Amino acid sequence: MSASAAAIEAEGLHKTFGSIHAVDGIDLALQPNRVYGLLGPNGSGKTTLIRLIAGLARATAGEARILGTRMPSRPMLRRIGYMPQAEALYPELSVRENVAFFARLEGAVSNDAIDRVLELVELGDRRGTPAMHLSGGMRRRLSLACTLVHEPPILFLDEPTVGVDPALRVQFWAHFRRLAAAGTTILVASHVMDEADRCDELLFVRSGKVIARGTPTELRQGAGTTDLEAAFLHYAGLDAEGRPLVASEP
Amino acid sequence: MSIARVLAVARRIAQGFRRDERTLGLVFVVPIVVTALLGWVLRDQMDATVRVAVAGAIADQAAQSRLETIAAESGIDLEVRSLGLNASIEDVRAAVRAGRADVGILIPIQYGGPPAVQVVTEGADPAAESGMMGALQMLLLRAFEPSGSGLLNGPPTFRHETVYLSPDADTLDVLAPVFLGYFGYFFVFLLTGISFLRERVGGTLDRLLATPVTRVEIVLGYSLGFGLFATLQVIVLTLFVLARIDVPAIGPIPAFTIGLDVQSVGNPVLAFFVALVLSLGAVNLGVFLSTFARTELQIIQFIPLVIVPQGLLGGIFWPVDRLPDILQVVARALPMTYAVDGLREVMLKGAGLGSAVVQGDLAVLAGIAVLFVALAAGTIKREVA
Ligand SMILES: Nc1ncnc2c1ncn2[C@@H]1O[C@H](COP(=O)(O)OP(=O)(O)OP(=O)(O)O)[C@@H](O)[C@H]1O
Ligand SMILES: [Mg+2]
Repeated sequence: MSASAAAIEAEGLHKTFGSIHAVDGIDLALQPNRVYGLLGPNGSGKTTLIRLIAGLARATAGEARILGTRMPSRPMLRRIGYMPQAEALYPELSVRENVAFFARLEGAVSNDAIDRVLELVELGDRRGTPAMHLSGGMRRRLSLACTLVHEPPILFLDEPTVGVDPALRVQFWAHFRRLAAAGTTILVASHVMDEADRCDELLFVRSGKVIARGTPTELRQGAGTTDLEAAFLHYAGLDAEGRPLVASEP
Repeated sequence: MSIARVLAVARRIAQGFRRDERTLGLVFVVPIVVTALLGWVLRDQMDATVRVAVAGAIADQAAQSRLETIAAESGIDLEVRSLGLNASIEDVRAAVRAGRADVGILIPIQYGGPPAVQVVTEGADPAAESGMMGALQMLLLRAFEPSGSGLLNGPPTFRHETVYLSPDADTLDVLAPVFLGYFGYFFVFLLTGISFLRERVGGTLDRLLATPVTRVEIVLGYSLGFGLFATLQVIVLTLFVLARIDVPAIGPIPAFTIGLDVQSVGNPVLAFFVALVLSLGAVNLGVFLSTFARTELQIIQFIPLVIVPQGLLGGIFWPVDRLPDILQVVARALPMTYAVDGLREVMLKGAGLGSAVVQGDLAVLAGIAVLFVALAAGTIKREVA
């Protein structure tokens, strides 16, 4: 793994909020053509890590690079797609207007691209509906459409499928895999173990540190289980019923 | 900077407005209703009858009827009642205190020397009373003047002319043009403040910063989007203020007039331009102040801080150069002062773009707008931490 080939790099990344170490010294080198999964308990620092790498927040220490450019960097923003954990849409704008707005900000994007991405998230027949009249899962899908519309080579997806029904979720993942096969680098934060299983590599975050990384199989083996959920509990330092294991500092 | 992204932001604002009928109503209907109300109050005020209680030398029958005749000639509605030749100043005070008279006049009966007139009023409405005092003095002077004698041959007549507008211009003619600017300012500030606050709180601002759009592009897009609305609003208001459409009586509905038919010698397009430059400052003030608010209610709470002082000090009601020294300094820092000055120059005095005063006002307003663009852009940070 040569550093120059990595699409996303981080070195000694730190971020503190007052006394909280949200990200506490993380090093990464993520390669193109791959889907990386970010796992970890609530508040472990997944969202903060994504925002640091994407250049949306300033690191307290350390640096992140995308395609070799140190973040934050405005020219790089065009090449990344960021789907926030809480969807940021304009409620009074229609589905299509929301996508078209973000498309325009990212540079010239054709009507075809907008229509394609609306078909992908199956909102083609709701294009005229104001975003505030959509169901929760539909809003999530619209948010994803706004992220994908300019076809960026780097994707940060913060829990993209929360509230999305199983059928559509399967389609989304098929699409993510297609994008990765075409050269995109994808970093997905998720709490869904079945999604984690579709990743090429997993990063397990706890208290702002990456405490385990590897393929899903490797993580399962490392935890000594055959079940990814059990592995999650293991790395989170919990017993099979979700209670803290005493004296289990990983 | 990318014009396309500025336009995208402006367009998004216009699209948001299109589905928001309530705000559209606020922007277009409310200023008209308020201006119409103002016109109604100022134009069609009842000329109240002034009730005068007289005592002493003025209380005899002849003096009373002379006063009434002269009042009628001068178009003043006077109702005179006598308290008697021997009534004292106490009686006069009692009459005013009891509300039986608006003004009491006592002229003690004396021999030789000019009469010493004592006037008693309530003192509860100084502005109206000082107007009343002026009129009364005129009346009394004329009532006492021995006709056909002295320097003058009979009572003088007056012909009043004005350099600007016409002598029968009223308060509304002077106020309406500057209300154009004031309303524009108020609504644009309120709408951008709330709109940008939503952007901050709702996470869309954060999301925008994950796209290549720059802070200046966002602020300029806002200026353009809301500037468009300020434009429409000022056009509608200008038409309303200047126009006069008489609607004849139809069936049970009596005849009425649409529009205020305000006297103006100026170029409405230039006036509109002054109001627009003022509004651009308001857009960016709204964006700027939205940093200091967490809720929409807090934006509303900025009104007493931002809008009211500008209304009081900006020269709308009282000329800036008659304010106390310190307040004059404050007033010179407010955009409203320059807008009011510019609007009056244009609408009342007919000044054109060549006028140094108008150019100066526009330059200051543009400077303030640019300053607030910079301040507003400065408040858009990548992170609130
Ligand atoms: N803007 C902020 N100000 C203060 N503290 C913050 C801020 N953002 C995050 N934190 C803190 O940083 C820590 C990490 O938060 P983060 O949002 O990264 O967690 P997460 O792993 O994404 O959690 P979740 O699974 O719930 O999404 C938490 O303790 C959180 O309280
Ligand atoms: Mg999170």
